[in-house]
Amino acid sequence: MITIGLPKGLFYFDHHILWEHFFIDLGCSVVTSRDTNRDIMDYGVKFCSNETCLPVKVFHGHVYYLKNIVDYIFIPRYTSVYKNEYTCPKFCGLPDMVIFNLKRQVKVLEIKIHPDKFPSWTFDSLEAVSKLLGIKYTCVLNTFKKAVSEYHRHIWDRFRENSYIINSENSKAVIPVLGHPYMIYDSYLSMNLIDKLEKRNFSVYTPRDICREIKRENAYPFQGKVFWYMGFELLGSAFTFTQDKNVKGLVYLTPFSCGVDAFIVEFMERHLYSRYRIPLLKLMVDEHTGEAGFDTRLEAFLDTVG
Amino acid sequence: MKVTFPHMGNMYIPVKVLLDTAGIEYVMPPLNSKKLCECAIKHSPEFACLPFKTILGDFIYGLENGADFILFGGGRGQCRLGYYGDLQAEILKSMNYRVEFVCLDLTNLSVMEVLHRIKPLVEGKSILKILKGIIDAVRTVYMADQLNKFARFTRCREIHKGQTDRVLSQFHTRVQKTEGYKNIKALIFGARKAIKQIKLDKGYNPIKISLVGEMYACAHPGINFEVEKKLGNMGVEVYNNLSVSHWITEYFIKKLIPVRLKNKSLEAGREFIGTDDIGGHGIHTVGNCILSAKNKLDGVIHIYPFTCMPEIVAQCAFNEIQSKYGIPIMTLIIDEMTGEASYITRLEAFVDLLEMKRMHSVNARLLTNSD
Repeated sequence: MITIGLPKGLFYFDHHILWEHFFIDLGCSVVTSRDTNRDIMDYGVKFCSNETCLPVKVFHGHVYYLKNIVDYIFIPRYTSVYKNEYTCPKFCGLPDMVIFNLKRQVKVLEIKIHPDKFPSWTFDSLEAVSKLLGIKYTCVLNTFKKAVSEYHRHIWDRFRENSYIINSENSKAVIPVLGHPYMIYDSYLSMNLIDKLEKRNFSVYTPRDICREIKRENAYPFQGKVFWYMGFELLGSAFTFTQDKNVKGLVYLTPFSCGVDAFIVEFMERHLYSRYRIPLLKLMVDEHTGEAGFDTRLEAFLDTVG
Repeated sequence: MKVTFPHMGNMYIPVKVLLDTAGIEYVMPPLNSKKLCECAIKHSPEFACLPFKTILGDFIYGLENGADFILFGGGRGQCRLGYYGDLQAEILKSMNYRVEFVCLDLTNLSVMEVLHRIKPLVEGKSILKILKGIIDAVRTVYMADQLNKFARFTRCREIHKGQTDRVLSQFHTRVQKTEGYKNIKALIFGARKAIKQIKLDKGYNPIKISLVGEMYACAHPGINFEVEKKLGNMGVEVYNNLSVSHWITEYFIKKLIPVRLKNKSLEAGREFIGTDDIGGHGIHTVGNCILSAKNKLDGVIHIYPFTCMPEIVAQCAFNEIQSKYGIPIMTLIIDEMTGEASYITRLEAFVDLLEMKRMHSVNARLLTNSD
């Protein structure tokens, strides 16, 4: 049986249900790398150029961890995620980056995703996968379709269980945490940010808890335009949270030198306080960040918002 | 309505021709001004790339000096360039400038839409004049870039150092005071003639280096510390096909003609990158490195602004290109904090290494021949 490795970084936090279902239904066994830790990060830092951002470095660490225990490492190539919603250039070049930085020691399985311009790329790469794994193309295609519908069903289930209600009567103060999913849900990179906030008796919401359509409507000033997928998610949820009177402040977690965040946060900073009087804490982390300094900033912010 | 525009290398010459011919009033920011950039840095996001900041600086100068219309190109895709317009409009608005900021989607250009968007600018102007202005401007782009090409050739070979630079700087000061296509054309031809008359060292075989990387950083001397001039005066012949004329050929003229022509650097880059688009000029950078090696150049200098995302992806391929094609590549990253002295030191060291490499290969060849 062929084993496929899923590195626990970047796309994993958004779409792991989709890819896990896809490969298990194809009859492969799926191995996920362990949660990020110091070793994984150090390996990532070792293999990447200095300018690369932290999540991409960590992703390299995960691939390195899986290198010898699986047959293929699965790295999808997202160019766009929906119509008019693009990804960061590093996602587009991720399989190439990993192959070059790890000196061609890994076998990479890639599936291209580009629904905005070339949806056919996905089918071409599925065909390549079917040849590589020795499974019939129609079978691969059907499995993929099933996995996609499974993914959507899962999203709806999660949504129904734990949906965010604006101005709920529950008087607990709300601090939303914003940031790329691979930053805020990775407990090592985010230094347990969500747990820390919950321990201080705040209820924490993330962009995941808001309905996709609402986010697109509120994503000032890009409603109906072309932007990054992440930009729509974050801008949309930031301006949705402003309508909630329980929200005391926003926390934005960003890796050092993130090009996408540079633009997104600027739009937030310019409007959140001047228009809605909601404070924003921007926490920037990289591989040298110490937890004590991080905690101090967070505590000071929580004390000021009360 | 008064319009203002940002600088990018020689780009201001054709823009000037266009606006003069069409009879549109404009404010032109000064060339290569560090002061403008500083003002923009204050108002820009910290991690925005350097082109964003210099372009914003040029806009602020224009608006301070009476302009109230900005025409800018954006687009779709992964690179941040596509979204410059929205953020810059936002920043200028918060600085209380009254400005009409029109951002055209360059990837999806339709003639009717363009005419509709720039209506306030061209109201009452004759369409014929505007069309003539556009055609003249495109011709000027090619002529101005060709002048640069000549300069690159003579600069490293001239016997009395500094002659080419003197001709060019005279040309630039004169162009800024001249109006009209005919006069500017005469100036360009004059400068070209002057460059051709410079005495050259015929037997000199210069080190050949190509510039690759982010287009704005390679084409705009204001942010790359005039790297072409510096290298040229060290006796290095520079190859740089990242210019506005090249861009127009690739993205407009090749689309207009019915025959599909291949983009050479993109084709070459596919060898290492398994997709067609990683945003910006990422794949072109990889392709240009390979083409430089195939054209037997001595080295490659890769320039990009700090945090430029597509170039970081491209940079990963360099180790493999260097070992496979045997061409040395040096990466230079620029931002507003880059010091000029350290920059020169690195250029000098790189050129020294290339010279040594060439000397060793010549010696090795002599040794093997004598056997």
